[in-house]
Amino acid sequence: MAVLPPDLDAANFARFLEELRGAVGADWVWSSEDDLGPYRDSFSPVWNQAEERHASAAVAPADVEQVQAIVRIAGRYKVPLFPISTGKNFGYGGPSPNVTGSVVLDLKRMNRVLEVDDKRHFALVEPGVSYFDLYRHIKDKGLKVMIDCPDPGWGSPIGNSLERGIGYTMPQFRDHFGASCGMEVVLPNGEVMRTGMGALPGSQSWQEYKYGFGPDPSGLFAQGNFGIVTKMGFRLMPLPEYYRTGLITVPRRRDFVKLVEHVNYLSDSSLIGEAVYGSPLAALMGDKAFYALATRQGGPSDAEMDAAASKAGLPSWQVDLQFFGPEAATRENWEYAKQRILADIPGAKAIDGDHFPLPATEEQLLNTTQPYKTGIRRYGALGVPSLGIWRIVSGNGHVGFFPVLPRSGEAVFEMQRAMCDGLREFPLAGRFFNATTAPLYWHSYAFQMVFAPSVKHDDPALNAEVHAAMKKAVAVAAEHGWGDYRAAPIYQDDVADTYSFNNHALRRFHEQLKDAIDPDGIVAPGRGGIWPRRFRK
Amino acid sequence: MISRRDLMKWGAVVPALVGGSARAMAAVPEGLDALVVDSRHAPGVIANPGGVRVLRFDGDVTQLWFETLDPLWRKPGFVLGGITGRDALFVLETLSWDRGRRVVSRKDMPGRSGRMDGPISWVIAPVHPSVKKG
Ligand SMILES: Cc1cc2nc3c(=O)[nH]c(=O)nc-3n(C[C@H](O)[C@H](O)[C@H](O)COP(=O)(O)OP(=O)(O)OC[C@H]3O[C@@H](n4cnc5c(N)ncnc54)[C@H](O)[C@@H]3O)c2cc1C
Repeated sequence: MAVLPPDLDAANFARFLEELRGAVGADWVWSSEDDLGPYRDSFSPVWNQAEERHASAAVAPADVEQVQAIVRIAGRYKVPLFPISTGKNFGYGGPSPNVTGSVVLDLKRMNRVLEVDDKRHFALVEPGVSYFDLYRHIKDKGLKVMIDCPDPGWGSPIGNSLERGIGYTMPQFRDHFGASCGMEVVLPNGEVMRTGMGALPGSQSWQEYKYGFGPDPSGLFAQGNFGIVTKMGFRLMPLPEYYRTGLITVPRRRDFVKLVEHVNYLSDSSLIGEAVYGSPLAALMGDKAFYALATRQGGPSDAEMDAAASKAGLPSWQVDLQFFGPEAATRENWEYAKQRILADIPGAKAIDGDHFPLPATEEQLLNTTQPYKTGIRRYGALGVPSLGIWRIVSGNGHVGFFPVLPRSGEAVFEMQRAMCDGLREFPLAGRFFNATTAPLYWHSYAFQMVFAPSVKHDDPALNAEVHAAMKKAVAVAAEHGWGDYRAAPIYQDDVADTYSFNNHALRRFHEQLKDAIDPDGIVAPGRGGIWPRRFRK
Repeated sequence: MISRRDLMKWGAVVPALVGGSARAMAAVPEGLDALVVDSRHAPGVIANPGGVRVLRFDGDVTQLWFETLDPLWRKPGFVLGGITGRDALFVLETLSWDRGRRVVSRKDMPGRSGRMDGPISWVIAPVHPSVKKG
């Protein structure tokens, strides 16, 4: 399906492509339908529908100068560019743009690991560097740092962090944008800017002090469309000496409130890595009567859930805890966690898990030695990139809605109930929101839940249901003060619309900035729900 | 797991792939350099067809890709055939795009009792000038 950039005719598009070829070489510009296949979102719920967003071409520059040249050419022809780093944003739009006819600016050739310092604990990379690449570099050089990687490991520190993606180690590292430190950006006018200490010529602390002086605009480039990031620094965890796990279970539904408070304390005191919550009662969801109870309108009572738990001989909740550091510190921290929680919650139990020095062996990474059923995926937990997560993908993939909620047991109960009730018309939602749904503790200081229904290219009816459910989920959540943290281009306007305090003051501010910096929408118009004047009705 | 009968049917496909006579091979005249076999679908069969190197994995392609394919795909050449589940092909195909490669042949193979839920046989070859040989 050949498409043209907005407001450009075929003859001018041909001229534009010729100029791109002049800038980067003919081999690195693609516009045939076949060549653009990889730039479609194969996880899209609007696959082959009018709403699917298609690129008109793709271009892969080799260096910053070529990025600047492309931006200037695009500026002359008013062609929107859609920058991607490794382009693996599956579940959130893949490599496909917000605006049909955009040219994907594929930064995969800019793939140098520029620096990894294992004394000052940081990395500086280009956009095409994947987590696998960074891991390989660190391993090959024997550097004593650990990365924090998302699943699957084929994504990139820059692409993932610009989506505010997450990983699975200590709080200050698994918020990937939060762990970034210093960036270089090609602005919509083609100029190169550096943030923080990078703005000070001769500074040696670009990856150590992110603010520099004055306002720090780096936040504008995450989920935003104010520039093309060509270098970015990341704080890295010094390779911990030792790793330890332990499991806590609590018997009653309400015990979750106290459990969460204790785990918040442990996490905010930097004593634990990602805490993985779960409800052993989820195993009962195959039973029709229990399913009906757990998804009942208005939610089940605590007493009913407790009765079901005691009938099944299961605890209501559990949390997998992880400890990093010197061996003695991990032991003491686990002892402390046990004492603290068991002394406060009657009937709480603790089971010692695995413990071993790092780096882990292959067997330890496969997590076959944990003495209990665990929710921890070891590769991610220990910063080893993997593609193994692919086993959870069914159909042609899924779309993701991850509402943010407060870190409290009450908030968890409320989201279970409100989302389950609000999405009742979509049978596929009950699996995601019910009285056994546990929160995800991916972000450092907030919980999320997950709604990620699968799609199938050859089942438009299913995809339409998923699409409608996604939109409804955004709306239901917003009614309760919960917002999505990240969304595919086809949902970004819906999500941005919910962040509407004071008559959309935030969006209006973003629009003012966009109009000033990029009025023609050369960089990813519509990304983050931010449209320049040219594209606003 | 697929039946013995299905495995026999594959037996006919693999030599066609490897021998270069099948229509599938038209786009890859240089023939295969290796064959990837997904052990979930082919336990213990297809040993060294036509002398071609066989790379096995069990559904998770991480190790295979990280240790073997990624370094090979960074260099010109290397035509890879495969008999894998759809999920593994999706992952390998997506990774191959980044290295100037494409799936140039793709064939559904019958699964259990003839249903089309079986593995896929495929060929990934270098197509971009930066990795094409010669
Ligand atoms: C099974 C499964 C599990 C997943 N698990 C996780 C997980 O654990 N954690 C997680 O965070 N995600 C997860 N994801 C989502 C996704 O795969 C990852 O977030 C992935 O890292 C994003 O792709 P990428 O790194 O290639 O980024 P890209 O696709 O390159 O970039 C993402 C977006 O950022 C913008 N962008 C990228 N580069 C630039 C640039 N240089 N300048 C300006 N803007 C840019 C673009 O808008 C682009 O669309 C998962 C997906 C699946 C299918």
